[in-house]
Amino acid sequence: MIRVEDVHVTYPVHGHAPKHVLGGISLDIHPGEFISVVGQTGCGKSTLLRLILGSESPSQGRVTIDGEVHCHPDRNVGYVPQKYSLFPDKTVLENVTFGLELAEFGLFDRWTPKYWRRKRQFTAKAVEHLLAMGLTEADGKKYPDQLSGGMQQRVAIAQALITNPKILLMDEAFSALDPGTRREMQRLIRRIWNKSGCTILFVTHNTHEAVLLGTRVVLLAKTDAAGAAHVSMDFAVPDHDQSHEIEAAVRRLESGEDVLDDLAGHVSKAEIPAAITGS
Amino acid sequence: MDLFAINARPSRTCAIALSWFLFVAGVCAYMWVAQQRHKENPEDRVVPTISQMGQGLYEAAFGADEEASKDSLPHRFLNSMLWQDTVASGKRFLWAMLLLIPAVVLGLHVGMFPFFGAFFLRFILFFDKIIALSVLPILFIAFGIDELSKVMLIVIGVTPTIILDTVNLSRSVPKEQIVKGFTLGAGDFAIAYRVVLKQIMPRILNSIRLNLKAVMLFLFAGEMIASTDGLAYRIALLRRNMGMSTILPYVLWVALLLFLVDFAMRVLNRRMHPWFRE
Amino acid sequence: MIRLVLLFLLAGSQIAAQKPKFTVGWSIYVGWNPYAYMEKSGILKKWADKYGVEIKVQRFDYAPSLDAFVAKNIDACTMTNMEALDLPAAAGVDSTAIIVGDYSNGNDAILVRNGLTLGKLPGKKVMLVEKTVSQYLLERAMTINGLKDQIKRVPLVNTSDSDIATAFIANPSQEAVVTWKPLVSQILKTKGVTSIFNSSQIPGEILDLLVVRTEVLKRPEGQKFAKAITGAWYEMTSQMKQDKVLAGIAASGQDTLPSYKEQLSTTNLFYTPQSALAFAQSPDLKDKMELVRQFCFTHHLLGDAKSADQVAIAYPDGSIQGKPDRIRFRFDTSFTQMAAQGKL
Repeated sequence: MIRVEDVHVTYPVHGHAPKHVLGGISLDIHPGEFISVVGQTGCGKSTLLRLILGSESPSQGRVTIDGEVHCHPDRNVGYVPQKYSLFPDKTVLENVTFGLELAEFGLFDRWTPKYWRRKRQFTAKAVEHLLAMGLTEADGKKYPDQLSGGMQQRVAIAQALITNPKILLMDEAFSALDPGTRREMQRLIRRIWNKSGCTILFVTHNTHEAVLLGTRVVLLAKTDAAGAAHVSMDFAVPDHDQSHEIEAAVRRLESGEDVLDDLAGHVSKAEIPAAITGS
Repeated sequence: MDLFAINARPSRTCAIALSWFLFVAGVCAYMWVAQQRHKENPEDRVVPTISQMGQGLYEAAFGADEEASKDSLPHRFLNSMLWQDTVASGKRFLWAMLLLIPAVVLGLHVGMFPFFGAFFLRFILFFDKIIALSVLPILFIAFGIDELSKVMLIVIGVTPTIILDTVNLSRSVPKEQIVKGFTLGAGDFAIAYRVVLKQIMPRILNSIRLNLKAVMLFLFAGEMIASTDGLAYRIALLRRNMGMSTILPYVLWVALLLFLVDFAMRVLNRRMHPWFRE
Repeated sequence: MIRLVLLFLLAGSQIAAQKPKFTVGWSIYVGWNPYAYMEKSGILKKWADKYGVEIKVQRFDYAPSLDAFVAKNIDACTMTNMEALDLPAAAGVDSTAIIVGDYSNGNDAILVRNGLTLGKLPGKKVMLVEKTVSQYLLERAMTINGLKDQIKRVPLVNTSDSDIATAFIANPSQEAVVTWKPLVSQILKTKGVTSIFNSSQIPGEILDLLVVRTEVLKRPEGQKFAKAITGAWYEMTSQMKQDKVLAGIAASGQDTLPSYKEQLSTTNLFYTPQSALAFAQSPDLKDKMELVRQFCFTHHLLGDAKSADQVAIAYPDGSIQGKPDRIRFRFDTSFTQMAAQGKL
C-alpha cells in the first residue's frame, strides 16, 4: 500500500518567489489498482510520479510504501519513462535480464560458472516476458535503436515487470507513439494488468487514455493562488461504456466548469472530495 | 557552377580530383623550390630533392654501411636507426596511453559521485590551464630526466582534458536511465560502471583519438629536451647539421604512424561497440 | 594633385637612392654581446655611414641564427668554427670568417659530481648538447688524457641547453655534464660539483667568429660592409676596458656586470686587430682546425661528404686544407689587417 501524505513540492528560485509545484497532495494507492494521473502539461503530475518513484523528495510531507518511508528509487518500484527507456549498449535480452542479474550478482561476480548457469535461466525467463509482450525471440538479439518506438516501450515494460515491483510507474509512456501503436499498447497494458494484477500508476496528459485505462482517475490542476497543483478530482471509473461521458465531463471540469452533478451518476460515491473549483 | 551552393552534389570524379589537388600542388611546388635552390647551390641541404629524401629514408630505414647490405631486408630494418627510434618513442607512447585508464576512471567518479566532484573538479579545472611545458624544471626534480619524466610530461599535458571530457560525458547520460538502473536494483557502483561507463565508452575512445596529436606533441617535447633515443631526439640531432633529407621522411613516418594508431582505434571502437552510431 | 605625384616621385627616388642594407645575426654569448651594444651606442651607425651602408643587428637563439644564415635571410652571423663548418660550409653555402673575435679559454667545461674522473666516465651518462662544441670538448678531453678508445663507451644524453642546468642540479643521480658559461657558473654553485676539464686546456680550438657569405663579400657593397663592421668591432673592443661600456654590453645580453666580467675572464678576446691578426696568421690555426674538421667528419656533421676534404678550408696565406675545388670555408684576415694598419 503506497501512501502519499500531504506532500508539498516547492523549488526555491533565485531572486524570485519560490515556485510551488505541488501543494498538499494526499493519495492512497491500494494493491492492484490502475491509477491514471491526468492534468494539463506542467501541472505537476510527473513530479508526483517522481515522488512515488523516489527520485525526488517532497519539501513537506512524505511518501511511504508499506509503512516505510520511501526516498530513493529501489526495487519496490518499476519505471517506464517516455523516452530513453532502454540501455543502448545492451541487447533487448540483456536489457530485460539486467534486473534479474543485479539481484544476484555484484560487479565482479560475473565471471563465475554460477553466473553462466543462472544466465541461461534468466534468458529463458526474459524470453517468456518478451513473448507475452508480443515480441519474438529474434527481437531479443537486437539493439534498442533497431526497434520501433512501440517495440521499445514493450521491452521497457517487460524490463520493469520482470523484477516484480510493488508498483509500476509509467510516465507518459505512450505519448511519443503514433495513434495506431498507442491503441495497441493501451490494449496490451490493460491485458497485462488484468493477468498479473500488478499496481500501476499511469501519468498522461491525454484524458481519453486516462479514463480508458484507469480504474481510478486522479486529476491534478493548479487551483490555488500560489500555483501549486492539488488533487481536484479523484474518482473511480467503473465501466468502459461510460468512459466517453466521463471523459467529456473531465475535460469540461478542467476548463473550470462545474460538472460534478453530471458526473455523479457515473462515478462511484464517496471518493469525490468536495469540489475545489477555481478558488 | 555555384561553389557556395549548399545543395551541390559534385560528381565522384570531381570530388576525388579536388581532394587530391592540394597534395599534388604541394608536391609540385616543393619540387620546384628544391630544383631552384639546387640550381643555385648543388649542395643545398635545406630543401632536399625527392630523391635525396628517398636516399635519407633508405639509409635511416635499412642502414647505410656495406656490412649491413649483406643482411636480409627485414633484418636490416629491425636493426636500423628508424626502427630503434620508433621503438623507443613507441614505448613511451604506450605507457602514456595506459596511464589514461586511471584518468578515465577518475573522470567517471568525479562525474557520478558528488563528493568526488566537490573534491576534485575545481582542482582539475585549474590544473588543466597549466601549460605542462613551462613547469619542466619541477618535472625534472620530481621525476628525473629518464623515461618517467617523459611519460609524466605527456600524462600531465593530456590527462586533464581526458578527465574533463569523461566528466561531461558521464553527466550527459539521461537521468531516466540512471533512475531506471536504481529501480532495477543497481547499487551506485553498478550504475557508474554497468550503466554509465558502458554507454559512454565509445565516446571516450573517440575523445582519446582526438587527443593523440597532443600526446605526440608532448612526447616530442620531452624527447627534444633530454633524451638518449627516440624519433624526436633524432630530429633534434639532425637539425645540427641540417639533415632535412632525413628529417622530412621522419616527419612523414610519424604522420603515418599516427594515422595507423588512429585507424586502429577506430576499428577497435567499432568492434567493441557495434551498437554505437555516430 | 600634382603636388602628390611630385611627393611620390621624390619618395621613390629616395628609396632608389637608399643605401645597401646588411643584417648581422647574433645570439647571447659573452663574445657576441658587443654587437648589440655596438648598435645601441651608435658606434655601428658611425662606421656604416662612413662607408655608405646600413647595418642592422638582430638577435636570435643560436640555432635559429644559423638556420637564417644558411637560408640566406641574413648576411652575416656570429658562430663558432665548428658550426661554420657544419652548417653553411657543409650545406654548400661558401662562407668567410672576417673577424676572429675570441676563443673559449675556460668558458666550456666538463662538470662532475662525486669526484668522478675522466677515466671513470665510460658507462656513466653524460648530459650535453650532442654534436656541438660540448661533445668536441669531451672528446678532446679524453683524447688528451689517453682515453681515446674509451670515448665510444661514454653514453651521451642529448639535453637542450635551456634545461640542462636545471636537469643536472635537480638530479643528484646525474653525475656528469658538459656545457658552457653562464650555465657552468650556475651549476658550480651546487655542492659537490667540480670542473675536471675546460677549454683553457685546449686553447684556440673553440673559436668565435663573425662569418659572412662569401658571395656578399664579392660585391663592392659587401666589401664596404665588411670594412664597416670590422672597424666598428675594433673600436668597440678598444673601449671594453671601461666598466661603463662593459655594463652596457652585459645589459644587452640580459646579464649583470660582475657575471659578464667573470665570463670575460675565461674568454681570450682579441681586443686589438694586431692580436687577432697574429693568431689568425699563425700555423697553429691550421692544426686546430684540422682537429675540428676531423671531429665534424667523424660525426657525420659534414653532410654527405665522403671525407673531410670535401669541405675544404682556405687560409690567409693561401694554403688549403682539403680539395682545392671544394673550398667552402675561408679565413679572411684582410679586413683585420686594414684595421691593424689603421687604414679603415
